[in-house]
Amino acid sequence: MHDDLALFAEEPPMAIDIAVPALEMRGIGKRFPGVLALEAVDLTLAPGKVHALMGENGAGKSTLIKILAGVYQSDAGTMRIHGRDVAIKSPRDSLRQGIKVVFQEIALIDEFSVAENIFLEGHPTDRFGTIDWRKIRTDCADLFERIGFAIDPAARTGSLPVSQQQMVEIARALAHQASIVVMDEPTSSLTPKEVKLLFTIIRRLTALGIAVLYVSHKLDEVFEIADTVTVLRDGRHISTRPIGEHTDDSLIQDMIGRRIVDLFPRQRGPAASRVALSVEGLSTRKLHDVSFEARAGEVVGFFGLMGAGRTELAKAIVGYDPIRAGTIMVDGQWMTPHNTAVGVGLGIGLLSEDRKVEGLMGELPVYQNASLASLGRFAAHGFVDAGKERQAVQTYVERFRIKTPSLFQKVKNLSGGNQQKVLLSRWLMLGLKVIVVDEPTRGIDVGAKSEIFGLIDELAGAGLAVVMMTSEMPELLGLSDRVVVLCEGRVTASMSREEATQEKILNAAIGSQGRASHEFRV
Amino acid sequence: MTEILRTGASGRTSLASLTGSGQGVLGILLVVLCLGISAAAPQFYSEANIIAILRQCALVLIVASGMTMLVIAAEVDLSVGASLAFVGCISMAVLNATGSLTLGVLAALAFASGVGLVNAIVVTLFRVNSLIGTIGTMMLLQGGVYLFTREAVQNHHQLASFTALGAGYAGPVPIPLILAVAIFAVCAVTLRFTTIGRYLYAVGANERAVRLSGIRSARLKLVAFVVTGLCVGVAGLILASLMNAGQPTAGRGFELTVIAAVILGGTSLSGGSGSLIGTLLGVLVLKVIDNGIIILGWNQDLQMVVPGVVIILATYFDLLRSRHHAR
Amino acid sequence: MSFASDRLEGAPSVWRRLIARQEVAVLVCLLALLVFFSVSAENFLSTRNITNVLGQASLALIAGIGCAVVFISGEVDISIGSLLATVAVPLIVVMNDTNSLFLGISAALVVGLAVGMINGFLCAYVGLNSLIVTLGMMFVLRGGVYLYTGQRAIADEAGLDSFIALSDGRLFDVLPYSAVIAIVLLAAFAYVLRYRPFGRQVYAVGGNSEVARLAGYDVRRIKFACFVISSLLATCSGIILAARVGSAQHIAGLNFEFQVVAATVLGGVSLSGGIGSLGGMALGVLILQFLSNGLRSLDLPTEWQLVITGLIIIAAVSLDEVKRRRAHGD
Repeated sequence: MHDDLALFAEEPPMAIDIAVPALEMRGIGKRFPGVLALEAVDLTLAPGKVHALMGENGAGKSTLIKILAGVYQSDAGTMRIHGRDVAIKSPRDSLRQGIKVVFQEIALIDEFSVAENIFLEGHPTDRFGTIDWRKIRTDCADLFERIGFAIDPAARTGSLPVSQQQMVEIARALAHQASIVVMDEPTSSLTPKEVKLLFTIIRRLTALGIAVLYVSHKLDEVFEIADTVTVLRDGRHISTRPIGEHTDDSLIQDMIGRRIVDLFPRQRGPAASRVALSVEGLSTRKLHDVSFEARAGEVVGFFGLMGAGRTELAKAIVGYDPIRAGTIMVDGQWMTPHNTAVGVGLGIGLLSEDRKVEGLMGELPVYQNASLASLGRFAAHGFVDAGKERQAVQTYVERFRIKTPSLFQKVKNLSGGNQQKVLLSRWLMLGLKVIVVDEPTRGIDVGAKSEIFGLIDELAGAGLAVVMMTSEMPELLGLSDRVVVLCEGRVTASMSREEATQEKILNAAIGSQGRASHEFRV
Repeated sequence: MTEILRTGASGRTSLASLTGSGQGVLGILLVVLCLGISAAAPQFYSEANIIAILRQCALVLIVASGMTMLVIAAEVDLSVGASLAFVGCISMAVLNATGSLTLGVLAALAFASGVGLVNAIVVTLFRVNSLIGTIGTMMLLQGGVYLFTREAVQNHHQLASFTALGAGYAGPVPIPLILAVAIFAVCAVTLRFTTIGRYLYAVGANERAVRLSGIRSARLKLVAFVVTGLCVGVAGLILASLMNAGQPTAGRGFELTVIAAVILGGTSLSGGSGSLIGTLLGVLVLKVIDNGIIILGWNQDLQMVVPGVVIILATYFDLLRSRHHAR
Repeated sequence: MSFASDRLEGAPSVWRRLIARQEVAVLVCLLALLVFFSVSAENFLSTRNITNVLGQASLALIAGIGCAVVFISGEVDISIGSLLATVAVPLIVVMNDTNSLFLGISAALVVGLAVGMINGFLCAYVGLNSLIVTLGMMFVLRGGVYLYTGQRAIADEAGLDSFIALSDGRLFDVLPYSAVIAIVLLAAFAYVLRYRPFGRQVYAVGGNSEVARLAGYDVRRIKFACFVISSLLATCSGIILAARVGSAQHIAGLNFEFQVVAATVLGGVSLSGGIGSLGGMALGVLILQFLSNGLRSLDLPTEWQLVITGLIIIAAVSLDEVKRRRAHGD
């Protein structure tokens, strides 16, 4: 590899005083409707060091980064950069302060060439203000060559695979004169080789005195690259310690704060033998020959890394997305693909991973959200019997302990956990045989999480077949009767609850590629 | 508490809907306008003038009833003005050729609902944004009507029943007003009490969720487009009857008045909320302003400016409302 | 998803990239149209006819630049047709009063600038739907012209030579001045869109406004500027039109906005923003202009033009949608 520091011919972005922290955040707080995302969080970055920020989903990592990037404004707290008090009100302010954030969601213009995206923050121009396209191309090619990138600078960015787009995004951090670089889960879609390259890049950044905030939940990555680790949990600062003081266990302990077993009180009995869902040789654009069965009263957990095809599978089996080949049988009956009306009629429904976009009707009241799928039940000759409808919803509100001031509350004003319960009751009121739940606890407070787990357990106990898509290991191991692992659209392993171990699952999820860094999601 | 919180079909509490959707404000505005105009011109309250206003309202309210359903389902139809003119010409031509009111009415309704169907196909099948797609059909119709006839289609059949459609009375009440009230009532009941109405709100609020719930959203939108088309058919017949001719140039800017009334009435362009009562108030406000311009002797070209200003203001208020609720 | 296998996918051949562009397809259509009319209509391919068509097309070409810029930024402006009629009023009135072309044009530009700033403010800063705002503006402006003129044309009484030259003057006795202006403006804005940071920012804002914001762009200011550009260019078209008809007409530019929108989407400028070029827009305008010219020489009713425009809007937008969905893979 290119280990010489000639990568940056230029001087470091500014004269950096090693003694002064590059960034000091004190008492940062942020509240969203219904959720306290951050409460009095402190974070100090030293120049030339890699500082890891860890925490489970919903711990507040992304909110903190977005505050740094100027996407959100904090409600409380102060920020100092290189010893100066600053207020970051917009992404522009953030860039001006020398902060460059590499987001997990790729922030590139699809239609632009790779080279232009590298210089998106400022096109180099000549003295007449005309863009110097040749400089853009050659500088980009030079940069790529020095760091060992094999990407055509003239390629249209949108046509690149996600992993390469992610690398382009990282390379942008180099072209920009930043003194603080923030990387949000940068390896989530990278190949092992690219991860190595990334680490080389990070070491060079720190050698120049640049402070790196590395956000991840992958333990071995953090142990390899970080100097210091800060752990957040439930929007609060838990610990900041040098990496040397941590072990795997101590980090997990900080992140979870309690043992996994406590989260998953399993109460249901064994599954029935009746097959409720049977999928044979299912193929779509992203999936290849996927087959599995789910029995009534059983939770089948699907695990896979980002891009493995979990959501695609979920949407294909409920009839939302078209399929290329294969058959889907619900309760012994053949289901017409790409037709949710038939699917719902047969009793299969999806609890989508994206509540806002695919589940909630935010402007409408709770009761209308809950009764959407089963509205026909409460109607005679096309007229809705509102009394009957609300009564039915009320029973679910009580049964699921949905916290809402009234049935008429707009559903968008509820907390994430209660919204999820409303959506669950939408399906239960209909009386499903198979429910597909995709990342059921995404964006939900920790307390509400275990309630959702309890509900899923209850559903299976009541005889539903539950197909659960998840990227969270504890959720998978705690709830599933059977675990199926997806990798690049194929089933790479299928095992019972008793056989399943983290290691087996991860090996199958990583697949033949053999990723260097393995993932631990909590 | 529960009694106070009885809901409207939009799901808002009736108390909140009065303040929240601006219907109360609109009602007050209407009263202020009426008082102001009548203070300046007492003939505002004459029976003839009130009937004139109501007749004017009838035409807009008929189409706005369908349009409200469409906008609640998060779609819009800008071709209604052009369609209105075309319907008048076609119905008059058919009446002239056959001398049968039934055939004339059927031709008008069939043509107008056909236009709705085409709009629905463009929007649901070709997935064209309805604001743009219906501009396309608007141009098709504008060009088409001139190819159909360059001049007004005159009334050669002299059917009394046709003339009564626009100009007739049942007792003291003008027939167009009766038609408008009937259509308004049917649409209001549909939106408020039926599954179709509830699904229309749902489609507008979140189409993906509706599709995932096994409801055929494209069909619902098609219904809304065709209903809007039918309303245009009725309005076109009334207009042709009132003008005693099919005018290819009629209806210019009509779509703007209708949409301005709907948005002014608190139906959000982003779909999922709104009510026909609001639309009724919106229509009344716009038409009282129109009438005021006439009886105060102001320049009638102002009638073109008003809906333009109103539609921008109403969109702004809609935005304010949604920002307020987001808080 | 495969992680390393499709490295080659990033670089399709230059030829395939060229074929995939809508501009090429539109150029082929234009050539086919020219061949068809040159066979079926007399004198169609004469220099006189071609330069005449270019002169007629100049109005839509100039306003089309603004339309394309606004589209690329992800917004829409359909108030330009009414603006054509609106700016003619101060132009003619001031010229009649002062006998100065410069003052007349200045007055027209001030009005155009004001309209652009109002559109831009409402759409970019307040955040209203641009189609609704400019639809409203379309009626406000048209109504305003009706009010001011009382639905009668205001004739140009100054009769300044320089003003009249705008309509019938020709450079080297060949190319109408209006076409020359259109070509110069096209070249200037093509340069801006490709070689000035502002131009690239417009593409970035339309391509993905969130990404543009994260890259530190002032998204609202950029969109605001696009609306101002659109109105100013429509003002130029309005001035040329006023020179051509020698008066301020209350019905000037009726349906003009839709012709321009149709030409722009036909030329491959996407309504969803971030995609398209002025070259494509210009080809779209020429197709529509030759079509209407050809229809006239075949003695077909010109109302076909409206029908065809409507069909083109629907077809081009649905094609755009198909392409967008294919690119996103759903």
